[in-house]
Amino acid sequence: MFLALKEMRRALVRFGLLMASIGLLVFLILFQQTLQTGLITSFVGAIRNQSAPVLVYSVDGRRNLQGSIITPDLQNKIVAVPGVGSAGEIGQGTFSVTAGGKLTTAAIIGYQTEGLGSPTTLVSGRLAHADGEVVALASSAGDGFGLGETVVVQPGGLKFRVVGQATEIGYQASPTLFSTYPTFEQAVLAANPDARATLPAVIAVAPAPGITDAELVTRINDAVPGADAVTRTDAVASTPGVAQVQQSFQVIFVLFGLVVPLVTGLFFLIVTLQKASSLTLLRALGAPSSALVRSLLFQVSLVLVIGIGIGIALYTPLSSQTLGSIPLSFQTGAVVLWSVVLFVLGLLSALVAVRRVLRIDPIEATTGAGLGR
Amino acid sequence: MRIAWLELRRRPSRFVTATAILALLATLLMLLGGLLDGLLGGSTSAVAAQRGDLLVFSSTAEKSFVRSRIPPAQQATVAQVPGVAEVGGIGVAQLAARVPGKGPRDLADVALFGYELAPRGVPAPPGPGEAYADSSLERKGVRTGVTIEVGPARTPIRIVGTVNGLSYSDHGTLWSSADTWRTTINANLPEAGVGPGVFQALVVRVDPGADATAVAGRIDRATGGATESLTVSDAVDAIPGVSQQRSTFNQIIGVTVVIAVVVVALFFALLTVERTVLYGVLKALGATSGTLFGGVVLQGVVVTAIATAVGAGIALLLAAVIPPGTIPYTLLASRVLSSALFLLFAAIFGCVFSLRRVLRIDPASAIGGGQ
Amino acid sequence: MTTVGQEQEQPPRPALEMVGVRKIYKMGDEEVVALDHATLMIGADEVVALLGPSGSGKTTLCSIAGGLLAPTAGSVVVGGQDITGYNAKRLAKFRQETVGFVFQSVNLVPFLTARENLLVVDQLGRRTGKAARDRADQLLEELGLADRRDNLPSQLSGGQRQRVAIGRSLMNEPQLVLFDEPTSALDTELGEQVMELIRTEMKSRGTAAVVVTHDERIVHYTDRTMHITDGVLHA
Repeated sequence: MFLALKEMRRALVRFGLLMASIGLLVFLILFQQTLQTGLITSFVGAIRNQSAPVLVYSVDGRRNLQGSIITPDLQNKIVAVPGVGSAGEIGQGTFSVTAGGKLTTAAIIGYQTEGLGSPTTLVSGRLAHADGEVVALASSAGDGFGLGETVVVQPGGLKFRVVGQATEIGYQASPTLFSTYPTFEQAVLAANPDARATLPAVIAVAPAPGITDAELVTRINDAVPGADAVTRTDAVASTPGVAQVQQSFQVIFVLFGLVVPLVTGLFFLIVTLQKASSLTLLRALGAPSSALVRSLLFQVSLVLVIGIGIGIALYTPLSSQTLGSIPLSFQTGAVVLWSVVLFVLGLLSALVAVRRVLRIDPIEATTGAGLGR
Repeated sequence: MRIAWLELRRRPSRFVTATAILALLATLLMLLGGLLDGLLGGSTSAVAAQRGDLLVFSSTAEKSFVRSRIPPAQQATVAQVPGVAEVGGIGVAQLAARVPGKGPRDLADVALFGYELAPRGVPAPPGPGEAYADSSLERKGVRTGVTIEVGPARTPIRIVGTVNGLSYSDHGTLWSSADTWRTTINANLPEAGVGPGVFQALVVRVDPGADATAVAGRIDRATGGATESLTVSDAVDAIPGVSQQRSTFNQIIGVTVVIAVVVVALFFALLTVERTVLYGVLKALGATSGTLFGGVVLQGVVVTAIATAVGAGIALLLAAVIPPGTIPYTLLASRVLSSALFLLFAAIFGCVFSLRRVLRIDPASAIGGGQ
Repeated sequence: MTTVGQEQEQPPRPALEMVGVRKIYKMGDEEVVALDHATLMIGADEVVALLGPSGSGKTTLCSIAGGLLAPTAGSVVVGGQDITGYNAKRLAKFRQETVGFVFQSVNLVPFLTARENLLVVDQLGRRTGKAARDRADQLLEELGLADRRDNLPSQLSGGQRQRVAIGRSLMNEPQLVLFDEPTSALDTELGEQVMELIRTEMKSRGTAAVVVTHDERIVHYTDRTMHITDGVLHA
């Protein structure tokens, strides 16, 4: 270990650059992981963190609140399915609003029944009860959606008051407001005088006692051809765009993940080749192969640990920021997983260098042959 | 310099490592760019293709088509504004379409546009109940001659032709006359209904030589502030999700370039160490640090050029191999070029790390044997 | 005094003049005197042996003479050029134009052919192009390496590599060539061949040379021998 550390100190720039490379790569991977989660949460957090266990869209809606419309006829059929314990309407619209003095966009989600569509991640204030009350996305507080503030729907001038805040209830990366159903209806009619009707986007249902969510989903889909029932979890995963984002990021993760062992393995191979003559000398003086291999693996481990540490250190302060409208969070699970994976891959990549060390023949110290490159 | 060049040609194996890793980074850069351009194209190509200089929304719409309304009287006002050559209405409805031969839950996502002024690649508006379909919908069975049923009201629309590369919010587009569009949206999206002659936005062509921004200002003044006129590219940027996607990916690309700098620095530092003896001899013979460092930079640039070419090759291969509609991916020439330039910058900057070591090599070390 | 049509012959300038040259290294708190008040003069076409055991300072003296190292004190004049105060850049130029080196471990550039190794100096410096190429070919011919000119050093024998190095040292028509232990890596017979060659080449061109060595056997190839021990020069 003594020699290993000495060598690293002598070649501080090179080892430093390697650790910097690994650190930046780890940082980028963790950062992307958080971005992906934050991006998806800002688009579908509202669906994940509302109280209805089963959501029934219209088939045409393609599991998107914006595109789904439930006609009264369809609604009656859904509610009549045996196994439905309770049901309530959920409506969604995207509106131009004035908040904090500026004109901006907000998504409004109205629910008929508390417990079937109300936000579950309240952090301050209370849920909306009366007309004109809303619960706002906590991270949009700085943009004029803070507790107690007033939001005005445009056109029309309809006023809403923020009575509560909830985290991770974003929809379509916009500031999102949850309200009772009548409030939502008023917003729709105020903003678009040409609107012919206000129909719910989704019927939220809870199963009757003794029936699971999955069973209820199957029953509704079998009984009502125009309905597309999903559990809350599936609704989140199958919202259009989510799968695409996840797939894109998957490809990126794999490739970036490969760069780390590649850079590490090649670095140690080159360094081993460059000092082949010193290693040969050590072997000639009586050092066993195992000692040289241990020294190498010690260096590899140290480099990986420090590199990964640098990556995490760069990531931590950034992970509590908000990127535009996307709030980020520190993901412990991802950090642990990637640290372990990259450490193992990095060690494995050094096997090529280990092989080279094992191939050293001490007799070459006298002949001077086989001095690496 | 010549010596550096000869070293590249005679000892290529020395540079293979750095080239391979840089090629991987080049591929990554172009892949990231391709994913971004694919995502953006899927959201915005229909709007970007508008053959006009300006898009006009109502001022309360926050640049959103679905929240905007332009009544016929307002459209007439806009047409009279000095500097305006032509005005055409436009509107969009995002719906699901039932396709003959596909199952009841296997619907196609479409964005139905009603238009007056044709965008690039689209013919003049077709007859009632007809539409042109984007080629991306073909894998869902939407092709010329087929009649699809759009929306919950199952409005029938017959496809009479194909257009290419026009998407909106990840939906393949249909292009129909204004009347067809109005009928469809009123039957299927009652909350977003439009009255007779009403459009969601206007496409404006300005007179040749006129300043588009100035005309935009004039339009908004002429309507008494009821409209918000902006350039087509500003309208593209305002489409939901676009700015988030762009900033996210650009940040990732930025960090990747920094990584490239560090990696080049690392592997060229390793190379320089290997050549200490050689550099000592060359310095003894009269080479200046400048000459030697210039050689290092030359090698860095050549290695980067080769890595970029390999990376571009792989990125193009991916573009050919990825089936359309699975992962959004579009490789643009501008993206390949910008990635190449970033890598070049990374190479030159990364070589700077070796400068100190090159400066420190003592020519006197050549005497006394290559210990 | 005759003035018409008769040029006064100037005595040729000495190839090397060192006066009171000292080189002191600081090792921690101690001072090591590698060279102590070395004074010498080498004529324009003299071939001189510098004999001394290892650690005697002969390499240091050679380095200073060749402009590879700056002295701590004293003056160094090579071919009439006072290089004592030169900075690194000017020394580099000086080495390009005025001196030739043949190092102990024959330091040819491993990926260049024999011919290209000769052309290295020209490419680093004056870039005379065709003139240099012609000169290189001529030198290779003289050194008996004409048929080896496209060979890499790995394809040449030890003696052949030594001859390439000698050729390189003569490319810039130097005032002074410095040979550092030219025969230490060669067996006796080969060593003698190389020294024979050195003498021939230097004398035919009238170029001065300093041959640094610890090998007593080769001194009879040189005009004069200087001894050095522990940094002190004995004439």
